[in-house]
Amino acid sequence: MNLIKYFFYIIISISFLACQNNPPEWKYARTIDLGSTTPIGLAVVDNHIWVADGDNNRLIHLDEGGKILFTEDGFERPMHITSDGQSIFVPEYGMDQITIFNGNERKKLPLVDTLDAPAGIHFNDGMFAIADFYNHRILYGKDDQWISFGKEGKADGEFYYPTDVHLAHQKIYVADAYNNRVQVFDLNGQFLQSIGKEEKMNASTGIYVGQEIYVTDFEKDRVLVYSLDGNLLQTIDEKLEKPTDVMLKDNALYIANYKGKNLMIFEKKAN
Amino acid sequence: MKNLLVIVIAIFSFTLCSNSTIAQSDRDQIEVQVDGLGCPFCAYGLEKKFKEFKGIKDVKIEMETGIFTFSYPSEKALSLESIENQVDKAGYTAVSTKITRADGNIEESKENITALTEESIIVKKDIFVAGNCGMCKARIEKTSRNITGVVNADWDKDNKMLKLEFDNSQTSIGEISAAIAKAGHDTKYAQADDNVYDELPGCCQYERI
Repeated sequence: MNLIKYFFYIIISISFLACQNNPPEWKYARTIDLGSTTPIGLAVVDNHIWVADGDNNRLIHLDEGGKILFTEDGFERPMHITSDGQSIFVPEYGMDQITIFNGNERKKLPLVDTLDAPAGIHFNDGMFAIADFYNHRILYGKDDQWISFGKEGKADGEFYYPTDVHLAHQKIYVADAYNNRVQVFDLNGQFLQSIGKEEKMNASTGIYVGQEIYVTDFEKDRVLVYSLDGNLLQTIDEKLEKPTDVMLKDNALYIANYKGKNLMIFEKKAN
Repeated sequence: MKNLLVIVIAIFSFTLCSNSTIAQSDRDQIEVQVDGLGCPFCAYGLEKKFKEFKGIKDVKIEMETGIFTFSYPSEKALSLESIENQVDKAGYTAVSTKITRADGNIEESKENITALTEESIIVKKDIFVAGNCGMCKARIEKTSRNITGVVNADWDKDNKMLKLEFDNSQTSIGEISAAIAKAGHDTKYAQADDNVYDELPGCCQYERI
Protein backbone atom coordinates (compact mmCIF):
# COMPACT_ATOMS: atom_id res chain seq x y z
CA MET A 1 0.00 0.00 0.00
CA ASN A 2 2.89 2.29 0.90
CA LEU A 3 4.41 1.59 -2.52
CA ILE A 4 1.28 2.94 -4.24
CA LYS A 5 1.41 6.00 -1.99
CA TYR A 6 5.04 6.69 -2.89
CA PHE A 7 4.29 6.13 -6.57
CA PHE A 8 1.43 8.65 -6.34
CA TYR A 9 3.76 11.25 -4.71
CA ILE A 10 6.35 10.73 -7.43
CA ILE A 11 3.75 11.28 -10.19
CA ILE A 12 2.51 14.48 -8.49
CA SER A 13 6.09 15.75 -8.07
CA ILE A 14 6.97 15.05 -11.72
CA SER A 15 3.81 16.81 -12.91
CA PHE A 16 4.60 19.81 -10.70
CA LEU A 17 8.18 20.01 -11.97
CA ALA A 18 7.02 19.66 -15.57
CA CYS A 19 4.65 22.61 -15.08
CA GLN A 20 7.42 24.64 -13.49
CA ASN A 21 9.69 23.96 -16.47
CA ASN A 22 7.15 25.22 -19.05
CA PRO A 23 8.37 28.70 -19.91
CA PRO A 24 5.79 31.47 -20.20
CA GLU A 25 4.51 32.17 -23.70
CA TRP A 26 3.11 35.18 -25.54
CA LYS A 27 -0.68 35.16 -25.32
CA TYR A 28 -3.20 37.41 -27.02
CA ALA A 29 -4.25 40.27 -24.74
CA ARG A 30 -6.12 42.91 -26.74
CA THR A 31 -6.55 44.76 -30.04
CA ILE A 32 -6.24 48.44 -30.88
CA ASP A 33 -8.46 49.16 -33.88
CA LEU A 34 -6.91 51.70 -36.25
CA GLY A 35 -9.90 52.45 -38.49
CA SER A 36 -8.71 53.03 -42.05
CA THR A 37 -5.02 52.90 -41.11
CA THR A 38 -2.89 50.18 -42.65
CA PRO A 39 0.02 49.95 -40.21
CA ILE A 40 3.48 49.22 -41.57
CA GLY A 41 5.92 50.54 -38.96
CA LEU A 42 5.87 51.27 -35.22
CA ALA A 43 7.85 53.53 -32.88
CA VAL A 44 7.46 54.99 -29.39
CA VAL A 45 8.01 58.60 -28.28
CA ASP A 46 7.21 59.68 -24.69
CA ASN A 47 5.41 56.39 -24.13
CA HIS A 48 3.08 57.18 -27.05
CA ILE A 49 2.92 54.92 -30.08
CA TRP A 50 3.44 56.26 -33.58
CA VAL A 51 2.30 54.22 -36.54
CA ALA A 52 3.49 54.60 -40.15
CA ASP A 53 0.44 54.29 -42.41
CA GLY A 54 1.97 53.49 -45.79
CA ASP A 55 -1.22 53.29 -47.84
CA ASN A 56 -2.43 56.69 -46.65
CA ASN A 57 0.96 58.43 -46.67
CA ARG A 58 0.82 59.53 -43.04
CA LEU A 59 1.85 58.92 -39.46
CA ILE A 60 -0.70 58.20 -36.74
CA HIS A 61 -0.14 59.36 -33.18
CA LEU A 62 -1.82 57.26 -30.47
CA ASP A 63 -2.25 58.11 -26.79
CA GLU A 64 -1.19 55.73 -24.03
CA GLY A 65 -4.50 53.88 -24.27
CA GLY A 66 -4.21 53.49 -28.02
CA LYS A 67 -6.71 56.20 -28.99
CA ILE A 68 -5.82 58.07 -32.19
CA LEU A 69 -4.87 61.63 -31.18
CA PHE A 70 -4.01 63.03 -34.59
CA THR A 71 -2.51 62.18 -37.96
CA GLU A 72 0.48 63.76 -39.65
CA ASP A 73 0.01 63.72 -43.43
CA GLY A 74 2.27 64.25 -46.41
CA PHE A 75 4.83 61.46 -46.13
CA GLU A 76 5.53 59.51 -49.31
CA ARG A 77 4.96 55.86 -48.35
CA PRO A 78 6.36 55.90 -44.80
CA MET A 79 7.70 52.49 -43.77
CA HIS A 80 9.47 51.06 -40.69
CA ILE A 81 10.04 54.12 -38.49
CA THR A 82 12.24 54.64 -35.45
CA SER A 83 12.79 57.24 -32.74
CA ASP A 84 15.66 58.67 -30.71
CA GLY A 85 13.20 59.57 -27.95
CA GLN A 86 12.52 63.05 -29.34
CA SER A 87 12.17 62.87 -33.11
CA ILE A 88 10.76 60.25 -35.43
CA PHE A 89 12.88 59.08 -38.34
CA VAL A 90 10.69 58.20 -41.30
CA PRO A 91 11.96 56.21 -44.27
CA GLU A 92 10.01 57.65 -47.21
CA TYR A 93 10.01 54.78 -49.66
CA GLY A 94 8.60 56.88 -52.48
CA MET A 95 11.05 59.76 -51.95
CA ASP A 96 14.31 57.82 -51.40
CA GLN A 97 15.02 59.69 -48.20
CA ILE A 98 14.84 59.56 -44.41
CA THR A 99 12.81 62.42 -42.99
CA ILE A 100 13.30 63.62 -39.42
CA PHE A 101 10.03 64.76 -37.86
CA ASN A 102 10.10 66.39 -34.43
CA GLY A 103 6.42 67.25 -34.10
CA ASN A 104 6.79 70.71 -35.65
CA GLU A 105 9.18 70.58 -38.55
CA ARG A 106 10.59 68.08 -41.00
CA LYS A 107 14.07 67.85 -42.40
CA LYS A 108 16.02 65.34 -44.42
CA LEU A 109 18.53 63.11 -42.68
CA PRO A 110 21.84 63.92 -44.38
CA LEU A 111 23.43 60.86 -45.95
CA VAL A 112 26.59 60.47 -47.97
CA ASP A 113 24.93 57.92 -50.23
CA THR A 114 21.78 57.63 -52.36
CA LEU A 115 18.92 55.40 -51.26
CA ASP A 116 16.50 53.52 -53.50
CA ALA A 117 13.28 52.91 -51.57
CA PRO A 118 14.36 52.88 -47.91
CA ALA A 119 12.09 50.38 -46.16
CA GLY A 120 13.31 50.50 -42.57
CA ILE A 121 15.47 52.42 -40.14
CA HIS A 122 16.51 51.81 -36.54
CA PHE A 123 18.30 54.04 -34.03
CA ASN A 124 20.19 52.78 -31.00
CA ASP A 125 23.04 54.18 -28.93
CA GLY A 126 23.65 57.13 -31.25
CA MET A 127 23.84 55.03 -34.42
CA PHE A 128 21.47 54.34 -37.31
CA ALA A 129 20.93 51.33 -39.53
CA ILE A 130 18.90 51.62 -42.74
CA ALA A 131 17.42 48.88 -44.95
CA ASP A 132 17.93 50.08 -48.55
CA PHE A 133 15.29 47.94 -50.33
CA TYR A 134 16.07 48.19 -54.05
CA ASN A 135 19.83 48.46 -53.51
CA HIS A 136 19.74 45.19 -51.51
CA ARG A 137 22.03 46.54 -48.81
CA ILE A 138 22.27 47.95 -45.29
CA LEU A 139 23.70 51.30 -44.28
CA TYR A 140 25.08 51.76 -40.77
CA GLY A 141 26.52 54.89 -39.17
CA LYS A 142 25.80 58.51 -38.27
CA ASP A 143 26.59 62.04 -39.46
CA ASP A 144 29.12 61.70 -42.29
CA GLN A 145 30.48 58.34 -41.14
CA TRP A 146 28.59 55.50 -42.75
CA ILE A 147 29.39 52.03 -43.96
CA SER A 148 27.25 49.97 -46.33
CA PHE A 149 27.27 46.23 -46.82
CA GLY A 150 25.50 43.55 -48.82
CA LYS A 151 24.45 43.09 -52.42
CA GLU A 152 21.65 41.30 -54.27
CA GLY A 153 21.86 37.55 -53.79
CA LYS A 154 20.98 34.57 -51.71
CA ALA A 155 24.31 33.67 -50.12
CA ASP A 156 25.23 34.54 -46.54
CA GLY A 157 25.80 38.29 -46.28
CA GLU A 158 23.72 39.01 -49.41
CA PHE A 159 20.17 40.34 -49.45
CA TYR A 160 17.03 40.05 -51.51
CA TYR A 161 14.93 43.12 -50.71
CA PRO A 162 15.72 43.85 -47.03
CA THR A 163 12.73 45.56 -45.42
CA ASP A 164 13.68 46.16 -41.78
CA VAL A 165 16.66 46.39 -39.50
CA HIS A 166 17.32 46.45 -35.74
CA LEU A 167 20.36 47.35 -33.63
CA ALA A 168 20.83 45.44 -30.39
CA HIS A 169 23.51 43.60 -28.41
CA GLN A 170 26.25 45.27 -30.53
CA LYS A 171 24.82 43.55 -33.61
CA ILE A 172 22.80 44.46 -36.70
CA TYR A 173 19.73 42.28 -37.28
CA VAL A 174 18.21 42.38 -40.77
CA ALA A 175 14.79 41.21 -41.96
CA ASP A 176 15.99 39.88 -45.33
CA ALA A 177 12.43 39.80 -46.61
CA TYR A 178 12.47 37.79 -49.82
CA ASN A 179 15.33 35.54 -48.82
CA ASN A 180 12.82 34.59 -46.11
CA ARG A 181 15.27 34.83 -43.23
CA VAL A 182 16.91 37.02 -40.63
CA GLN A 183 20.60 37.76 -40.97
CA VAL A 184 22.83 38.91 -38.11
CA PHE A 185 25.97 41.04 -38.60
CA ASP A 186 28.59 42.62 -36.38
CA LEU A 187 28.91 46.40 -36.38
CA ASN A 188 31.48 46.22 -39.19
CA GLY A 189 28.97 44.46 -41.45
CA GLN A 190 30.57 41.04 -41.10
CA PHE A 191 28.08 38.19 -41.43
CA LEU A 192 27.54 36.23 -38.20
CA GLN A 193 24.41 34.14 -38.48
CA SER A 194 21.30 33.31 -40.52
CA ILE A 195 18.04 32.53 -38.71
CA GLY A 196 14.70 31.10 -39.82
CA LYS A 197 15.45 28.86 -42.78
CA GLU A 198 13.77 25.84 -41.17
CA GLU A 199 10.54 27.76 -40.64
CA LYS A 200 10.15 28.41 -44.39
CA MET A 201 9.08 32.00 -43.93
CA ASN A 202 7.43 33.82 -46.81
CA ALA A 203 8.51 37.47 -46.61
CA SER A 204 10.17 38.30 -43.30
CA THR A 205 9.12 41.94 -43.29
CA GLY A 206 9.68 43.29 -39.77
CA ILE A 207 12.11 42.66 -36.93
CA TYR A 208 12.56 43.65 -33.27
CA VAL A 209 15.22 42.37 -30.89
CA GLY A 210 15.05 42.46 -27.10
CA GLN A 211 16.01 39.41 -25.06
CA GLU A 212 14.34 37.48 -27.86
CA ILE A 213 14.13 38.02 -31.62
CA TYR A 214 10.70 38.74 -33.11
CA VAL A 215 10.10 38.45 -36.86
CA THR A 216 6.92 39.07 -38.84
CA ASP A 217 6.26 36.44 -41.51
CA PHE A 218 3.98 38.50 -43.75
CA GLU A 219 2.50 35.96 -46.16
CA LYS A 220 2.10 33.26 -43.53
CA ASP A 221 0.22 35.54 -41.12
CA ARG A 222 2.46 34.89 -38.13
CA VAL A 223 5.21 36.23 -35.89
CA LEU A 224 8.12 33.95 -35.07
CA VAL A 225 9.89 34.26 -31.73
CA TYR A 226 13.52 33.12 -31.53
CA SER A 227 16.09 32.99 -28.77
CA LEU A 228 19.12 35.21 -29.32
CA ASP A 229 21.07 32.21 -30.56
CA GLY A 230 18.41 31.55 -33.21
CA ASN A 231 16.30 28.72 -31.80
CA LEU A 232 12.58 28.94 -32.45
CA LEU A 233 10.70 29.51 -29.17
CA GLN A 234 7.15 30.25 -30.29
CA THR A 235 4.97 30.86 -33.31
CA ILE A 236 2.28 33.49 -32.82
CA ASP A 237 -0.46 33.23 -35.43
CA GLU A 238 -3.63 33.99 -33.50
CA LYS A 239 -5.69 36.73 -35.19
CA LEU A 240 -2.82 37.92 -37.41
CA GLU A 241 -3.43 39.09 -40.98
CA LYS A 242 -0.34 40.15 -42.90
CA PRO A 243 1.80 41.45 -40.02
CA THR A 244 4.45 43.98 -41.06
CA ASP A 245 6.15 45.11 -37.85
CA VAL A 246 6.58 44.22 -34.20
CA MET A 247 7.93 45.95 -31.09
CA LEU A 248 8.10 45.62 -27.30
CA LYS A 249 6.53 48.27 -25.09
CA ASP A 250 5.96 47.95 -21.34
CA ASN A 251 6.72 44.21 -21.54
CA ALA A 252 3.97 43.71 -24.12
CA LEU A 253 4.45 42.70 -27.74
CA TYR A 254 2.80 45.06 -30.25
CA ILE A 255 2.21 43.68 -33.73
CA ALA A 256 1.31 45.90 -36.70
CA ASN A 257 -1.42 43.90 -38.39
CA TYR A 258 -1.41 45.39 -41.90
CA LYS A 259 -4.45 43.73 -43.42
CA GLY A 260 -6.37 43.63 -40.14
CA LYS A 261 -5.88 47.43 -39.82
CA ASN A 262 -5.09 47.16 -36.14
CA LEU A 263 -2.41 46.59 -33.53
CA MET A 264 -2.49 43.21 -31.84
CA ILE A 265 -1.08 43.14 -28.32
CA PHE A 266 0.32 39.99 -26.73
CA GLU A 267 1.52 39.53 -23.15
CA LYS A 268 3.78 36.90 -21.70
CA LYS A 269 1.91 34.52 -19.44
CA ALA A 270 2.69 31.24 -17.76
CA ASN A 271 1.25 28.15 -19.40
CA MET B 1 -13.14 99.20 -56.49
CA LYS B 2 -14.60 96.15 -54.69
CA ASN B 3 -16.48 95.10 -57.85
CA LEU B 4 -13.34 95.50 -59.92
CA LEU B 5 -11.46 93.22 -57.54
CA VAL B 6 -14.20 90.56 -57.79
CA ILE B 7 -14.09 90.72 -61.61
CA VAL B 8 -10.28 90.39 -61.65
CA ILE B 9 -10.42 87.36 -59.34
CA ALA B 10 -13.18 85.79 -61.44
CA ILE B 11 -11.20 86.26 -64.68
CA PHE B 12 -8.06 84.90 -63.01
CA SER B 13 -9.92 81.82 -61.71
CA PHE B 14 -11.54 81.22 -65.11
CA THR B 15 -8.13 81.43 -66.80
CA LEU B 16 -6.68 78.93 -64.31
CA CYS B 17 -9.57 76.52 -64.82
CA SER B 18 -9.29 76.82 -68.61
CA ASN B 19 -5.57 76.08 -68.50
CA SER B 20 -6.21 73.12 -66.24
CA THR B 21 -8.81 71.77 -68.69
CA ILE B 22 -6.42 72.22 -71.59
CA ALA B 23 -3.67 70.52 -69.58
CA GLN B 24 -5.89 67.51 -68.88
CA SER B 25 -7.34 67.31 -72.41
CA ASP B 26 -4.05 66.22 -73.93
CA ARG B 27 -3.63 63.31 -71.54
CA ASP B 28 -4.93 59.75 -71.70
CA GLN B 29 -6.33 58.29 -68.48
CA ILE B 30 -5.22 54.74 -67.79
CA GLU B 31 -6.80 52.32 -65.33
CA VAL B 32 -5.30 48.89 -64.74
CA GLN B 33 -6.69 46.36 -62.35
CA VAL B 34 -3.68 44.53 -60.99
CA ASP B 35 -4.08 41.25 -59.18
CA GLY B 36 -1.94 40.27 -56.24
CA LEU B 37 -1.27 43.68 -54.73
CA GLY B 38 -1.20 42.14 -51.26
CA CYS B 39 2.33 43.13 -50.31
CA PRO B 40 2.75 46.87 -49.73
CA PHE B 41 6.49 46.78 -50.36
CA CYS B 42 5.97 45.43 -53.89
CA ALA B 43 2.89 47.57 -54.56
CA TYR B 44 4.67 50.78 -53.61
CA GLY B 45 7.52 49.51 -55.76
CA LEU B 46 5.19 49.22 -58.75
CA GLU B 47 4.06 52.79 -58.16
CA LYS B 48 7.65 53.95 -57.74
CA LYS B 49 8.87 52.24 -60.91
CA PHE B 50 6.00 53.67 -63.01
CA LYS B 51 6.83 57.13 -61.72
CA GLU B 52 10.17 56.83 -63.51
CA PHE B 53 8.43 57.03 -66.92
CA LYS B 54 8.75 60.44 -68.40
CA GLY B 55 5.41 62.15 -68.72
CA ILE B 56 3.49 59.93 -66.31
CA LYS B 57 1.30 61.79 -63.81
CA ASP B 58 -1.47 61.29 -61.29
CA VAL B 59 -0.19 57.85 -60.26
CA LYS B 60 -2.44 56.20 -57.71
CA ILE B 61 -2.80 52.71 -56.29
CA GLU B 62 -5.81 51.52 -54.34
CA MET B 63 -4.56 48.58 -52.33
CA GLU B 64 -8.02 47.25 -51.49
CA THR B 65 -9.25 47.00 -55.06
CA GLY B 66 -5.90 46.58 -56.83
CA ILE B 67 -6.76 49.46 -59.16
CA PHE B 68 -3.72 51.31 -60.47
CA THR B 69 -4.41 54.57 -62.31
CA PHE B 70 -2.30 57.20 -64.02
CA SER B 71 -2.38 59.69 -66.86
CA TYR B 72 -0.03 59.85 -69.83
CA PRO B 73 0.53 62.29 -72.72
CA SER B 74 -1.88 61.32 -75.49
CA GLU B 75 0.61 62.06 -78.31
CA LYS B 76 2.64 59.06 -77.09
CA ALA B 77 -0.36 56.80 -77.88
CA LEU B 78 0.38 54.26 -75.18
CA SER B 79 -1.14 50.91 -76.19
CA LEU B 80 -3.00 48.36 -74.04
CA GLU B 81 -0.31 45.82 -74.84
CA SER B 82 2.59 48.03 -73.76
CA ILE B 83 0.85 48.86 -70.47
CA GLU B 84 0.20 45.19 -69.73
CA ASN B 85 3.79 44.31 -70.67
CA GLN B 86 5.04 46.99 -68.30
CA VAL B 87 2.88 45.64 -65.48
CA ASP B 88 4.17 42.14 -66.25
CA LYS B 89 7.77 43.40 -66.17
CA ALA B 90 7.16 44.83 -62.71
CA GLY B 91 6.09 41.32 -61.68
CA TYR B 92 2.34 41.81 -61.57
CA THR B 93 -0.57 40.62 -63.66
CA ALA B 94 -2.99 43.04 -65.29
CA VAL B 95 -6.46 41.55 -64.94
CA SER B 96 -8.09 44.32 -66.98
CA THR B 97 -6.82 47.47 -68.65
CA LYS B 98 -8.76 50.51 -69.79
CA ILE B 99 -7.50 53.58 -71.63
CA THR B 100 -9.73 56.64 -71.87
CA ARG B 101 -8.14 58.64 -74.67
CA ALA B 102 -7.96 62.39 -74.51
CA ASP B 103 -10.62 62.60 -77.26
CA GLY B 104 -13.03 60.45 -75.22
CA ASN B 105 -12.50 57.12 -77.03
CA ILE B 106 -12.23 54.11 -74.77
CA GLU B 107 -10.04 51.05 -75.34
CA GLU B 108 -10.33 48.01 -73.09
CA SER B 109 -8.62 44.66 -72.86
CA LYS B 110 -10.75 41.67 -73.79
CA GLU B 111 -10.93 38.41 -71.90
CA ASN B 112 -10.29 35.20 -73.79
CA ILE B 113 -13.61 33.38 -74.07
CA THR B 114 -13.58 29.78 -75.18
CA ALA B 115 -16.32 28.94 -77.70
CA LEU B 116 -17.66 25.43 -77.23
CA THR B 117 -18.58 23.25 -80.23
CA GLU B 118 -20.41 19.96 -80.76
CA GLU B 119 -17.06 18.17 -80.47
CA SER B 120 -16.27 19.76 -77.13
CA ILE B 121 -15.44 17.41 -74.28
CA ILE B 122 -15.38 19.28 -70.98
CA VAL B 123 -12.85 17.85 -68.57
CA LYS B 124 -12.39 18.81 -64.90
CA LYS B 125 -8.95 18.18 -63.47
CA ASP B 126 -6.90 19.37 -60.50
CA ILE B 127 -3.14 19.73 -60.88
CA PHE B 128 -0.39 20.77 -58.48
CA VAL B 129 1.20 24.12 -59.38
CA ALA B 130 3.97 25.58 -57.21
CA GLY B 131 3.55 29.18 -56.05
CA ASN B 132 3.35 31.36 -52.96
CA CYS B 133 1.14 34.38 -52.96
CA GLY B 134 -1.65 36.44 -54.48
CA MET B 135 0.63 37.54 -57.30
CA CYS B 136 1.33 33.88 -58.12
CA LYS B 137 -2.41 33.17 -58.10
CA ALA B 138 -3.10 35.98 -60.58
CA ARG B 139 -0.29 34.87 -62.89
CA ILE B 140 -1.24 31.17 -62.85
CA GLU B 141 -4.94 31.80 -63.42
CA LYS B 142 -4.47 34.40 -66.14
CA THR B 143 -1.98 32.22 -68.01
CA SER B 144 -4.42 29.30 -67.88
CA ARG B 145 -7.46 31.30 -68.93
CA ASN B 146 -5.62 32.80 -71.89
CA ILE B 147 -5.31 29.35 -73.46
CA THR B 148 -8.06 28.67 -75.99
CA GLY B 149 -10.08 25.79 -74.63
CA VAL B 150 -9.76 26.66 -70.95
CA VAL B 151 -13.16 27.42 -69.50
CA ASN B 152 -12.15 28.03 -65.89
CA ALA B 153 -9.03 28.06 -63.73
CA ASP B 154 -8.87 28.58 -59.97
CA TRP B 155 -5.63 28.15 -57.99
CA ASP B 156 -5.67 27.66 -54.22
CA LYS B 157 -2.75 29.38 -52.48
CA ASP B 158 -2.92 27.06 -49.48
CA ASN B 159 -2.97 23.62 -51.07
CA LYS B 160 -1.33 24.74 -54.38
CA MET B 161 -3.94 22.92 -56.45
CA LEU B 162 -5.20 24.42 -59.70
CA LYS B 163 -8.78 23.45 -60.46
CA LEU B 164 -9.12 23.37 -64.22
CA GLU B 165 -12.12 23.08 -66.46
CA PHE B 166 -11.24 22.79 -70.14
CA ASP B 167 -12.41 21.55 -73.51
CA ASN B 168 -10.27 18.52 -74.28
CA SER B 169 -10.94 18.91 -78.01
CA GLN B 170 -9.20 22.30 -78.00
CA THR B 171 -6.42 21.94 -75.42
CA SER B 172 -4.79 19.44 -73.11
CA ILE B 173 -3.33 19.23 -69.63
CA GLY B 174 0.13 19.09 -71.23
CA GLU B 175 -0.40 22.35 -73.13
CA ILE B 176 -1.77 24.12 -70.04
CA SER B 177 1.11 22.85 -67.85
CA ALA B 178 3.68 23.99 -70.42
CA ALA B 179 2.16 27.49 -70.54
CA ILE B 180 2.15 27.77 -66.74
CA ALA B 181 5.77 26.62 -66.59
CA LYS B 182 6.67 29.18 -69.26
CA ALA B 183 5.18 31.85 -66.95
CA GLY B 184 7.55 30.70 -64.19
CA HIS B 185 5.65 28.10 -62.18
CA ASP B 186 6.60 24.44 -61.81
CA THR B 187 3.74 22.00 -62.25
CA LYS B 188 3.44 18.28 -61.80
CA TYR B 189 4.01 17.90 -65.57
CA ALA B 190 6.40 20.73 -66.53
CA GLN B 191 9.29 22.65 -64.96
CA ALA B 192 9.90 26.39 -65.35
CA ASP B 193 13.26 27.48 -66.77
CA ASP B 194 15.64 28.71 -64.07
CA ASN B 195 16.05 32.12 -65.71
CA VAL B 196 12.25 32.63 -65.83
CA TYR B 197 11.95 31.56 -62.19
CA ASP B 198 14.75 33.97 -61.20
CA GLU B 199 12.84 36.84 -62.80
CA LEU B 200 9.77 36.30 -60.60
CA PRO B 201 9.27 38.90 -57.85
CA GLY B 202 10.78 38.01 -54.49
CA CYS B 203 7.52 37.03 -52.85
CA CYS B 204 6.72 34.64 -55.73
CA GLN B 205 9.95 32.65 -55.46
CA TYR B 206 8.42 29.43 -54.25
CA GLU B 207 10.23 26.25 -53.28
CA ARG B 208 11.03 24.39 -56.52
CA ILE B 209 9.46 20.98 -57.13
